[in-house]
Amino acid sequence: MEEDVSFSPGLPVPIGSIEMELGRVWEESGTSKTRASLINLAIYNEKPGSLEANSSIIREIAGEHAMRAILIQADPNEQGSRAEAWISMHCYLRGSKGGSVCSEQISFQLGGEAARSLQSVVFSHLDSDLPLALWWQADFHPPVESNLWQWVDRLLFDSRHWKKPKQQFEFITRIANLVETKLVLCDLNWARSLPVRQALAGMFDNPGTLPELQLLKSLQIDHAPGSRSTALLLVGWIADRLGWVLKEISPNPIFSDPKSEKIQVTLTEKVGASISRMLLGSDNSSFELIREQESDLYRTIVKSTGSVPTVRMVRAAREETREILLAELARGGRHPLYSRAVLAVSELW
Amino acid sequence: MNPDDILTMNPLREGIANRLTPETCTLVIFGATGDLTHRKLIPALYNLAAEGALPPSLIIRGFARREKTTDQFRKELEESTRKFSRTPVNDELWNNFAASIFYNQSAFDDSRGYSDLAAEMREHDIAKGTCGNRLFYLAVAPDQFPIILGHLRNSGLNKPSEGSWSRIIVEKPFGMDLSTARELNGLVNDVFPEKETFRIDHFLGKETAQNIMVLRFANSIFESLWNSSHISHVQITAAEPLGVEGRAGYYETSGAMRDMVQNHLLQLLTLMAMEPPTSLGADAIRDEKVKVLRSLRPLRGDDVFRHVVRAQYTEGLINGQPVNAYRNEQGVSMDSTTETYVALQLNIDNWRWAGVPFFIRTAKRMPKGGTEIAVTFKGVPRVLFNQSAQNLDENVLVIRIQPDEGVSLRMSAKMPGSSLRIEPVKMDFHYGTSFGKATPEAYERLLLDAMSGDATLFARCDEVEEAWAFVDGIEEAWKTRSDDLAFHAAGSWGPTEATELAARHEVTWRRM
Repeated sequence: MEEDVSFSPGLPVPIGSIEMELGRVWEESGTSKTRASLINLAIYNEKPGSLEANSSIIREIAGEHAMRAILIQADPNEQGSRAEAWISMHCYLRGSKGGSVCSEQISFQLGGEAARSLQSVVFSHLDSDLPLALWWQADFHPPVESNLWQWVDRLLFDSRHWKKPKQQFEFITRIANLVETKLVLCDLNWARSLPVRQALAGMFDNPGTLPELQLLKSLQIDHAPGSRSTALLLVGWIADRLGWVLKEISPNPIFSDPKSEKIQVTLTEKVGASISRMLLGSDNSSFELIREQESDLYRTIVKSTGSVPTVRMVRAAREETREILLAELARGGRHPLYSRAVLAVSELW
Repeated sequence: MNPDDILTMNPLREGIANRLTPETCTLVIFGATGDLTHRKLIPALYNLAAEGALPPSLIIRGFARREKTTDQFRKELEESTRKFSRTPVNDELWNNFAASIFYNQSAFDDSRGYSDLAAEMREHDIAKGTCGNRLFYLAVAPDQFPIILGHLRNSGLNKPSEGSWSRIIVEKPFGMDLSTARELNGLVNDVFPEKETFRIDHFLGKETAQNIMVLRFANSIFESLWNSSHISHVQITAAEPLGVEGRAGYYETSGAMRDMVQNHLLQLLTLMAMEPPTSLGADAIRDEKVKVLRSLRPLRGDDVFRHVVRAQYTEGLINGQPVNAYRNEQGVSMDSTTETYVALQLNIDNWRWAGVPFFIRTAKRMPKGGTEIAVTFKGVPRVLFNQSAQNLDENVLVIRIQPDEGVSLRMSAKMPGSSLRIEPVKMDFHYGTSFGKATPEAYERLLLDAMSGDATLFARCDEVEEAWAFVDGIEEAWKTRSDDLAFHAAGSWGPTEATELAARHEVTWRRM
């Protein structure tokens, strides 16, 4: 796949003429370009320069997940009301006939009232009948208004970047619980942990190791600086799945299992992958997952008293935002365990 | 989750994948030095291992006649996997994966080979935790099936220990006619129960074949039109530009009817024509597919020559290059009557499809390759836009199975301008356009399904037998004469007789 055209933020257009101008661009591009779209992906950010950064992400993923991308750089605190728009396309050569497949991009810079009226200014430019995934790259602010969220099918965010995760988790929980919304919460931090969860789950597929889940005594996680929330989500997931209850709130918390046995959790910051090591231990066995620095593989090691250790290697997911976003978009579906994992460690954020 | 469930289910698996988890086992590949193992099976298993999709403690045992050590076998497999894998091979991953591969050298009729195999598997059950589960893969010529099956039974390898399973995967052809298929099914089912028998038709592992059911049963607009009230006819085509490519020995005994129609094309027909199953369970789906086969109007005697055209390619041009006539291919007899082209007009005698002709054609040495299902809808009434001499084109829904998988719908639209001119336009969905990511190989899905015990995408014995029962009627009639064999130039779209067959129903074969 080779990109042949990209321009950012693109051709400036009046907001009222976006659809017409897009149509004109298509007409002028002839028959060699095919429009493709699976979703509307809107990205909301309040930082200057975000249009360029997000345009770069779209350019990287549109070849694998065709979409109408809507980029929003907003300053809701600005006085008055300001709205500017640009259109562009991301095209990729496909097949042997020399044609290319293109995704549309509409970029907005909004200030003041316009930035606070996304459903009116921006969401009137959706590719109709296709789902809307809204990637919220800013902090969520009160009040919770249903007008905006009822448009959204999937709400993407990355809890790793939250400075006050407890407040933010409470906020998204309120959004998800709005009667008018049916949106699916998609935390890219949760998506980031999926390959780890898969590799970890794989160690217990064997009937010989499965009973050890009930006998665990300790859980150690080494995480990169800034990835404590990823580690906590993993703790929450395991706690929810195994019926652990938080007993002692501390940087290294203590849980109890359904038989009231104590489980010590240790979180250690270590340079490397977001999660570089997990070790679950019982009296007789240990289950270790390791990702060496710079390695793109996970090594899982199961050790049991009296047995030869079992070592498996599996491909680790790449941790670039592009890869995580693509995986999340391709996966779809709901994430029923996410909210439960968040709840299981809600006192630890 | 109930704490007791932890004893039997892995609670960490919930929500991670929406498919059954494959169970830990030993996979024994008979004919492990062959092409299928090198080109398809091991590359598929490597990719699954790299994604962490394989069960823990999976052991792969190659069982074949050639002298070689496990190390040599691993080395050969590494070379072929580097060549045929859909993803690049990572050295560390390969080494970890290859450590689970072993080689058992033995003739297929040597009982000691099987007792050694059994002993080594038992050893690994303890040392590697393969739990006594066995998956046997017959990647050998059908004449070896009885020998291998007999030895599996005699050595007790077909009998799982308590709490474990023993399964078999059989590659096509599943017999050469109804009688041999029954014999084979009997033979297999004497050794393995039907629920542990997995007959692979790799067509069913393709994404687009699986998408037929999604298209039909997840979209209300199609299913409500999917019947004789709205559909005029259906065409299923599987064309390839290749010739017999060194398989003349096999092809001379099979021909296009046995090689393609009995399995791949009738499978596509059943998916296209079946009633909605009661569930997505393997038997619920296969029950409905069998009903379609049972509803096929049998073709016998003279009916065969009215409804079926067989032909052979003569010399011609493919991609501008001259190619030999079939009878001049190496290993083909000069007076061969083996069909390389077959076109059929079928009827499904049930409530839904009464009066709707189904056209099936498959051939070698066609101008281009491709497999598709085209559903042509009935025209609009001859009022309003359809009154003039120029008829409107009917709506056609095309499901492309390969290559360029996708779905298109042809409909009518007004040409811009002051006059009323209506032209056909096409709405086209390409998998490759919308989903840029490469799809997994069919064998990856099918191997995982077999390890999980999910037989949905595998042919059941009654499906195979019903398909043979239908095909046998045609083959029997063909034996009575050979003057119906038509000829067409390689690189053409088939003989005029096929054009006439369709024309009798006022149908023309689709241009692909």
